[in-house]
Parts: sequence; structure tokens; C-alpha cells
Amino acid sequence: MKVLAANVEEVFREAAARWTLVAYAALSTLFIALFAAAVNLDVVDGALAGAKLFGKQLEMGPRSVDLDKLVLGFESGFSGFLYVVATFLAVFATAHLVPRLQEKGTIDLYLSRPVGRVPLLLSRYVGGLLLAGLNVVYLVGAMGLLIWWKTGVVHPRFFLGGAIILFTIATLMAFAFLVGVVTSSTAVSIMATFAVFFLAAILSGHRQIEAALATEWAAALVRGFYWVLPKTGQLAQATVDFVSGGQLSRHKVEIDYLAVFGTTGLFGLVSLALSALFFRRKDF
Amino acid sequence: MTAVLSAEGLSKTFRTPFSRRQVRALDGLDLQVAAGEVFGLLGPNGAGKTTTVKILLGLTHPTSGRAELFGLPVSDPGSRRRVGYLPEGHRFPGYLTARQTLSVFGRMSGVSDSDLKARIPELLARVRLSDWGDVKVKRFSKGMTQRLGLASALVHRPDLLLLDEPTDGVDPVGRREIRDLLREEAARGTAVLLNSHLLSEIEATCDRVAVLRKGKAVAAGRIADLTAQGFAYRFVGAPMDEALLGLFRESGAAAERVNGHVKLTARDAAHLNALVDAARARGVLVTELTPLRSTLEDVFVDLVRAGETDEAGGTVITPPEEGRPR
Ligand SMILES: Nc1ncnc2c1ncn2[C@@H]1O[C@H](COP(=O)(O)OP(=O)(O)OP(=O)(O)O)[C@@H](O)[C@H]1O
Ligand SMILES: [Mg+2]
Repeated sequence: MKVLAANVEEVFREAAARWTLVAYAALSTLFIALFAAAVNLDVVDGALAGAKLFGKQLEMGPRSVDLDKLVLGFESGFSGFLYVVATFLAVFATAHLVPRLQEKGTIDLYLSRPVGRVPLLLSRYVGGLLLAGLNVVYLVGAMGLLIWWKTGVVHPRFFLGGAIILFTIATLMAFAFLVGVVTSSTAVSIMATFAVFFLAAILSGHRQIEAALATEWAAALVRGFYWVLPKTGQLAQATVDFVSGGQLSRHKVEIDYLAVFGTTGLFGLVSLALSALFFRRKDF
Repeated sequence: MTAVLSAEGLSKTFRTPFSRRQVRALDGLDLQVAAGEVFGLLGPNGAGKTTTVKILLGLTHPTSGRAELFGLPVSDPGSRRRVGYLPEGHRFPGYLTARQTLSVFGRMSGVSDSDLKARIPELLARVRLSDWGDVKVKRFSKGMTQRLGLASALVHRPDLLLLDEPTDGVDPVGRREIRDLLREEAARGTAVLLNSHLLSEIEATCDRVAVLRKGKAVAAGRIADLTAQGFAYRFVGAPMDEALLGLFRESGAAAERVNGHVKLTARDAAHLNALVDAARARGVLVTELTPLRSTLEDVFVDLVRAGETDEAGGTVITPPEEGRPR
């Protein structure tokens, strides 16, 4: 416990010293401000009198727009956007944790303490996850409060959507740790993690890709990759659907939640287990 | 005498991935250090000193052999509970201050917050960094970092210190202070294993040494024994005439005049006493009889030169050319 606390403290101190924390907060605030400024709602007595998006008056038509539905739509869009932004920020802010630890002259200092290698690695992972988690809480929380203040509408689901984002971050961070342990390179960790993110997102359309492929083995390869990699595409959709309560979904593609979360979680667990295994075996 | 640290038949061969080159850094090393003892590990560059220490800390896994600290195998993190380590070329996280560094690493060694509160200022004073406690480590000079490293190795009051070139980059006064500090630690029962290239320092600090060459111990023992030159003595007395020296030589001793004294080499203690009796019988007034010693440096250079090659590093093993596909 003491070890965990010492490591978490160090992760945060490092983030503060390396301006990661400031950049993290500044960028997040910028995104919130941007969204807040872009959307301008005229709320009169709890009813929507007019709405502006990026300065343009929205055509409201003869029917009055349901304010609750409008806010929900906005929140869903924002969580989709957040899914990408928060994930990227998290990878950038934590990818150095392992390569920095493994540097010659530094790793000796940590491993000479009576701490097992696996607890050491895991406490860094927890530190990183806490850092990323706090940022998600800040992004979602600030936005939610802003909406509440401006419209008086609150959707608890919006706050909980952050949990799916954090789940995705935890998975990708585990993979970044694995690459970090093997290569000791921050740049390679970031690149490999983004490659997985995008490749997996593309593969969410694996049925169409498979249909377009000429040979069966190529199709099998694509299917294999789809199942092994985290389901970054479906998770984005799941976040939006969850926040909107499925009310806004026009693309009625059914998501098999159990399979999506299960295989993604498995990818994260295997990545983390492999990084622990390799870290244990390494000679420094 | 119970050994705090013991190693038997330690060997380590480093393999580079995707290459046939292998380096045998350690080759069957045995080592024992007892409580209260300061042990020096010497050897030319690449002899395997750092590798030995890293194996003892579980940083590097031995290819074969066995190593224990306080009776626990080094693969058990618990074996490092009472160990303080100062790595070669260590790099503390630059964003921590000296105080934070000692706090983070102290807690990782299980020191409680309340203990740390008293311990940190005491340690900073001991390594003369009291004014620098709240300065970030990245602003430290090399010697200051080294002092902080020593403080960090001592933060949990260890009973075994493993120090890889502790005085590297430290000024002469600081070196003397570190030497005194190590002797103090040893006096209160701490075992110390020390790597250094500064032989005068080793001579002044260590009780026992081992000289490594290509991963093997080529000499080990008390410094006095290693540097003794058999029964060679510096003999001063008067009158010291040629007749007396002739008498010495007749009895089988070697005797030669070296500016102002006689270098006398006897067969054994009895022979030496016989020589003294003979001199006394002739009315010689003996004023000095001291054993002659080589410096540790002489011994070291002779040992290292005795190797087949002067090449630095461990033994490079490359598989034979024949049979390799062209
Ligand atoms: N991680 C590693 N991978 C491959 N070879 C290594 C590794 N670490 C050490 N070696 C090799 O092992 C041999 C012994 O190295 P070691 O660092 O133990 O020497 P040393 O006695 O501490 O030398 P120095 O006096 O220069 O500090 C050297 O030939 C070195 O190249
Ligand atoms: Mg060395």
C-alpha cells in the first residue's frame, strides 16, 4: 500500500513537473470552452426559445423542439468527441511511464527496493489510470455542470458515459505499457497504441471488408484481427448510445455488448499480463 | 562469522538478441561478506563488478549459481528489505527535490512517514546537503547527486550496503567523508560491498578485497596478505658492513643495500630471527625491522597483466566460423 502510494504520488509529481498536468487541464478546458461557446441556447422559463450552433440560428420550424431531447443530442455528440480526445490525451500523458522507469540508472533505484517487479509495474499503471481518470472526470463533470447551469437539464447517463471511455483508456494503456516494456521507447508506444486504435476502428466494419476480399484466408485474417484487437469503433458507438439511451440511434446496427466489452477487456488483461511477464524476466 | 551476503558459482552470459555474440561477464564467482565487514570488489573495466552487484539485487538474473542476502534467495524481493544500494551512474527523477526523493524511495523500502520526518534532515546533514533539501535534483552537480544517492541508500538504515563506485565525481574532502561514513556504518555492524577503481581508497577502507578479471576472482583476501612480499624486510641498524651482508647471503638470505637501509629476504620466521641474532652477535644496534609491502596498485596491475589479454570487457564468445552457412 505504501509502495502504491509512493508510486502514484511520483506519477502525479512527474506529470506536474513535465507540464503534462497543465497541458492536460488546459487542453481539456479549451475543449469545454469551445463547445460551450459553440452552442448557444436561449432558455426562457424552461422552454427553448432559440438555439444557435456555431453562431447560426437553428431552424426550429413550427413544432417546438423538446429541450430535453436537444440537450441529450448535444451530450451524445460531445461524448463521442470526448471518447477520441480523452483517449488520445491519456495515451500521450502516460506512454512515457514505463520507458522512463526502465532507463539505465533509474530502474536500478526502483528495483533495489524490496518491491516485486509486478507490483512496481502495476502501481505505475494504477497511477497512470488515476491521472487519466481524473481528466475524464474533469471533462465530463465540467461539461455536465455547464449544461445544467445553462439549461437546467441533467442526465446522469452523461456522467456515466465517462466509464466506457475510461474502460477504453485502461485497455489501450495496458497495450502502451506492453510496448513500453518491450521497446523502452515512448514514441514507439504512442505510435503502436494509436495504430491499434485506428486499425481496430477500421476493422469495426470487418463484415464489409471481408465481403470485398477475394480469398477466404484473407477474410479469416481480417476477422481474426477484429476479434483480437480492442473494439474501438463499437465502443465509441456504445458510448454515444449509452448516453443517448439509444433514443437517437439512426444507424440501427445492433452491438453485441458482451462480446465487445469482453474481448476488449481480454485484450487489456492479456496486454497487462504480458507486460508484467516480460518486465519480470528482463535483465537490467 | 555469519555471512550477510553469500554467492556461489555465479555465472552470467549476456546474449544479444539477433546476434551470435555472447559475453561471459561472470564465470563461477564465489563471494561472502560478513556483518561489520567492508569488502572491496576490484577489477579492470568490464570485469563483472557491476554485474555481480546487479545479480545480488535481482536486477539481472544469473545464468547459473546461487546468491543469497540475509539467507533469502535474491529472487525474493524480501531479501532487499535491509539492503541499501548506490548504483553506478544512477539517475534520480529530476523533477523530485532531494527531500521528495528520500521520501519516495524511503517509503518504497517500508519506512513510515513519521520516521522519515526525522530521518531525512539527519541524512541530508550527514551528506552535507542540508541547504539543498528543497531543490530539484536536476539542478544538482554530479557529486551532489552522488551524495544524495548515498543518502537514499541509507534512508532505511540498511544492514548491507552495496555501493558501485560511491565516490565517483565526489571532491577529495567528500571522499574522505564518505570513507569515514562507511567505516562508521561498518562499526555499527553493517556489511559493505564496495566497487571502486580508486585503489588507495580501497586500501584505506576495506578489510578484504577480491580482484576480478574476466568474471573470475583471480585473487581474494585481506589487503595485508595480498600486499605482503613473503619474508622481505626493511632492515636498519649500525654498523652495517659488507662482511655482515656476506654472512647473511651465506645463510641463504637475499640482502641488498637500498638507499640507507638493507632489503632483507629470509626463508621464514626462524631464518629471519637467526639473521637478527647473527647481527646482534656482531654488535649491530637494530633500529628498524619492518615487513616490505607492495602497494595494492602494484598487486592489481600484476594480476591484471597476468591475463592472456589486456582487452576490456568480459569474455566474448562467438561460435566457431566453420559450419556456418555462407
Ligand atoms: N545488459 C548487458 N548486455 C550485454 N552485455 C552486458 C550487459 N551488462 C554488462 N555486459 C557486459 O558484461 C561485462 C561486464 O560488465 P560490468 O558492467 O559488470 O563491468 P564492470 O566490472 O562493472 O566494469 P566498469 O569498471 O567499467 O564499471 C562487460 O563486457 C559488459 O559489456
Ligand atoms: Mg561497473
